Amino acid sequence: MPKKFLLDMYVNRCLRCGGCMAVCKTHNRTPEGVHRIRVITFDEGEPTETNMPMPCLHCNEPPCMYVCPTKAIYKRKEDGIVLVNKDTCIGCGYCLMACPFGAPQFEKGTFGNRGKMDKCTFCVEPYEQKDEQGRLIQREPKPRCAMVCATGHLLAGDADEISAKLRERVGYRMSRGVEKTFLTF
Amino acid sequence: MALSAMKMKRRSFLKLAAAAGGAATLGKYFKYSGVELFEPVAAQEGGEKVELIKTICIHCSVGCGILAKVANGQLVDIEPWENHPINRGRLCSKGASIPASINNDRRLKYPMKKEGGKWRKISWEEALTEIANKMLEIREKYGPDAIFFAGSAHVSNEAAYLQRKFMAFWGSNNIDHQARICHSTTVAGLGNTWGYGAQTNNFNDMRHAKSIIFFSNPAEAHPVSFYHIYKAKQRGAVLICADPRFSRTAAQSDLHLQFRPGTDIPLVWGICYELITNGWVDEEFIRLRTHGYEYVKEVILQYPPEVAEEITGVPAEKIKLAAKLLAENRPGTLQYAMGATQHEVGTHNIRAFAILQLLLGNAAKSGGGVNAFRGHDNVQGATDLGVLSNTLPSYYGLSEGAWKHWAKVWGVDYEWLQGRFASKELMQAKGATMSRWRDLVLAEETGDKIGQPTPIKMAIFWGHSTPSQAGTYLVKKALEKLEMLVIVDPYVESAAALPERDDGIILLPACTNWEYPGTVTNSSRQVQWRNKVIDPLYDSKPDVEILIALAHKLGFGEEFTKNFKKLPEDIYDKEIRVGARVIAMRQSTWRLKRQQEYDYVFNIETLRAEGGPCDGEYWGLPWPCWNDEHPGTPILYRNEIPVAEGGHDFRAKWGTKAPDGKTLLSGINGHAELNPDGTPGPGWKLDLTTDYKKLIAANKVPYGRGRARFWAWNLPDPVPVHREPVWTPRPELARKYPTFEDKVYGETHFRIETKGRSIQEQDIFEKEIHKAYPLVFTSGRQVEHQGGGAMTRANPILVELQPDMYVEINPKDANDRGIKDGDVVWVHTYRGYELGHYRSRIQVKAKVTRRVPPGVVFLPFHWAGMFETVEYTQRFPEGTKPIVIGECANTISPPGWAPETQMQTTKSGLCEVTKAGVIPEAIERLAKA
Repeated sequence: MPKKFLLDMYVNRCLRCGGCMAVCKTHNRTPEGVHRIRVITFDEGEPTETNMPMPCLHCNEPPCMYVCPTKAIYKRKEDGIVLVNKDTCIGCGYCLMACPFGAPQFEKGTFGNRGKMDKCTFCVEPYEQKDEQGRLIQREPKPRCAMVCATGHLLAGDADEISAKLRERVGYRMSRGVEKTFLTF
Repeated sequence: MALSAMKMKRRSFLKLAAAAGGAATLGKYFKYSGVELFEPVAAQEGGEKVELIKTICIHCSVGCGILAKVANGQLVDIEPWENHPINRGRLCSKGASIPASINNDRRLKYPMKKEGGKWRKISWEEALTEIANKMLEIREKYGPDAIFFAGSAHVSNEAAYLQRKFMAFWGSNNIDHQARICHSTTVAGLGNTWGYGAQTNNFNDMRHAKSIIFFSNPAEAHPVSFYHIYKAKQRGAVLICADPRFSRTAAQSDLHLQFRPGTDIPLVWGICYELITNGWVDEEFIRLRTHGYEYVKEVILQYPPEVAEEITGVPAEKIKLAAKLLAENRPGTLQYAMGATQHEVGTHNIRAFAILQLLLGNAAKSGGGVNAFRGHDNVQGATDLGVLSNTLPSYYGLSEGAWKHWAKVWGVDYEWLQGRFASKELMQAKGATMSRWRDLVLAEETGDKIGQPTPIKMAIFWGHSTPSQAGTYLVKKALEKLEMLVIVDPYVESAAALPERDDGIILLPACTNWEYPGTVTNSSRQVQWRNKVIDPLYDSKPDVEILIALAHKLGFGEEFTKNFKKLPEDIYDKEIRVGARVIAMRQSTWRLKRQQEYDYVFNIETLRAEGGPCDGEYWGLPWPCWNDEHPGTPILYRNEIPVAEGGHDFRAKWGTKAPDGKTLLSGINGHAELNPDGTPGPGWKLDLTTDYKKLIAANKVPYGRGRARFWAWNLPDPVPVHREPVWTPRPELARKYPTFEDKVYGETHFRIETKGRSIQEQDIFEKEIHKAYPLVFTSGRQVEHQGGGAMTRANPILVELQPDMYVEINPKDANDRGIKDGDVVWVHTYRGYELGHYRSRIQVKAKVTRRVPPGVVFLPFHWAGMFETVEYTQRFPEGTKPIVIGECANTISPPGWAPETQMQTTKSGLCEVTKAGVIPEAIERLAKA
């Protein structure tokens, strides 16, 4: 079952508390400059102010994968998570050009300089893919960013899990007969 | 360091987890939450032991639970604690990056001493001996009051309590901590209105609110509280944000009341005017449970929305709409924090909020109340345990009776204790405060009168930051003048580097709160057990151990530790629990530990345990918790439920009759405070043996069932009235609504001469500084940093998320001054004049944004490392300076102190912004005059 991130845009809840960014760096030990998820803000200080966390969306047809000249980027069959093999990555940066969401990351000063690409792994791999014995580290696909999200804006998981969560939210509002309070100024 | 426990293929791991986990071991933690389920399993793999330890975040006062992942005795990671009843695993950036704060090589690793301009490593023995000898020398020469002790809200309850006890045994009341400059006006304001000066409800209870009015910015200061606030919003609650800035909270609110800093009272009175004139007040609640409505009505009727508009700048229409929304959506809760407290009228701001809730009938019920969000992880606990110069633990004050009560708890003679003090008068006199201790050091230079025999000669900073103290120039001069400065902190606090002095500084490395166990009280009075995660790193030691070692060096160690056999539990169980009767902080540590184990039985809506060994208990046993059978009181002053279930009433604290002859006892079962045997009298707070079972069985509240006071006859303003900030941009309003007269502060106020009106007259009316400094200054927080930032500015993750100190300025003001976004600018003010220093200025980046309205600038206050445009990081010991530095916003904060608590003013000052290097002519002229 493919795993995805989803942002609940029906009610934009993100406060930009940075919990997702910080827990990602703590859990995956990414170095400076590598943000597997990043919150961006539009219209800061305006009534339309919006925050949006931007993770890798683990596309069904990932453009990064198709442009990779060394086939270092691949999509896992069992859960659709897009990963990069750092042993074969040559750091050309094509993936960054191809990705519409800015997901591929390069350590500070390494872009175009033989650095390895890093990206969100749905928390299955940390930044250093291998342990001391050279074995690939494989963890459970449980993205910490979605788990710590204080406002529940960021959702992650299988389609049925996300769907259940969204239905619960909307159903809750409908069952209580709540209408959004509109104020006109 | 090993990266992960999971050193095998995913499939084999899952197999193992299924086999080893099973329902039996996992059942304890198992609960559905969020999209994904996380099962904390202590996996045993490859000889490496991985443990998940339940602990509490060390930053703000929400009290979030975190599972710390420890492998081979090292903290390697954190995991969300998904069963924690407050946060359900949710974290903000500060909580999510704690491992980087603790495993950090910028920490202070061993005791250090500054000698001949150089930092030298010394041993603990040498450091403690030297400190003790200097303290005894100062005691000999100047008396015990020549030492100032800055305690901390970032230590456990046990350490905070020992700090207060330490200074009591030392013989001085010169002890204070962050609460003075944080929520001291809350304690005075709410305490004088209805009895206890604490948050009345809790974070989870905000889910039940139908309307929420914010007077601060919890979206940035307490982000995880929004987990519950959004739940209320999802259920249809109206959010109203009253804030001079269009903050992130305002962006999420339905209505924004953008008022001028320092005009909270007229705004609230404008709303109350509408409530009264439209008949939207809760008449029955007022009749049965309050006193003095006619007095407050008389004042409120002088502030119709149009007058409020003239003062605050909020359109009258919006004020009327806010009143309508609050009246139609009950119960509603009111939330505030520093933005309301840090004013000379802070106490009255808070009283106005409480009065608004009383008028609406929102007080004392679920979904209502006044939610004062506090700052540090244990500031509520440290306040309760009296790390304050005006009280002993548990708000007993400093009277002879209070000293006798605590002497009994400590098992020492009252006469011996009195002999430790310079005199009986000084034993009962309020001591120096965090906001003015530096003036007590500099009294000879400034010529201020002091209320003790000599100025302060030595200071101990035990987990207190410098950037949070207003008037950095004076703080710097004071730090330079002290004979000795001792700083106890896990990091090198900027007080070590700010003063330009070559010797006389000793730094002691305390360990962080994850390296020693203890209890911690969050903002909602919930006491939680914080487990030790790892052993203290480097050569650091726990606060409790350092305090006890120092007490032994000073010769009162035996008396000091008389009751303690098992540390730290005995500090709580044998002393705090026995003595802290005014607030009934009588939870036993075994109950707190049991709650932690059975975290999953607590209902997130009510925080009450349903079944299991903790059945009926409320999470954290919020005080008042009368005995080991009492479930705690999550919502204060509910009188419709029995006392045994967490009910009680407004306190009968001021007797049974008001000066106007009306009763102060509640209209529903009212009675005065009681002795344990049921007769009227103050025995409930003085008897050390009672567990109140008799009173509770009879549904009597030990402290009585009284009324909330609209009219607080003991305060300078019995009913809050508008008073312009000392430094106001509106002199015409200052003539109509002047600040407090000098005489309100008395000859000395907390041992130092304090002025109000005369500063306003001199600076605003005579010198007209508002013409040279036309912009209003206000300050606040950044979500990524905490307090003075010594810890967070050294954390590489948080630094990457927020590397900059800046000044937020409206595009109009910026364009008028030729300033572009990102420019380096100077922010000038007229501060430091006490020592003839008329031109304080700071150098920061400009952030041009419409978050602030024209005429107002905003600065975050967490920064240090630069002083008046000059960097001083070379004075930090090698390798300990924070990663990012910035100017301290409080360098330019205005004068002004609250007459009740000596709260400093940091939210409404005056300043001018120019490009770096430019000093406008008007400022030059003023400085010369």
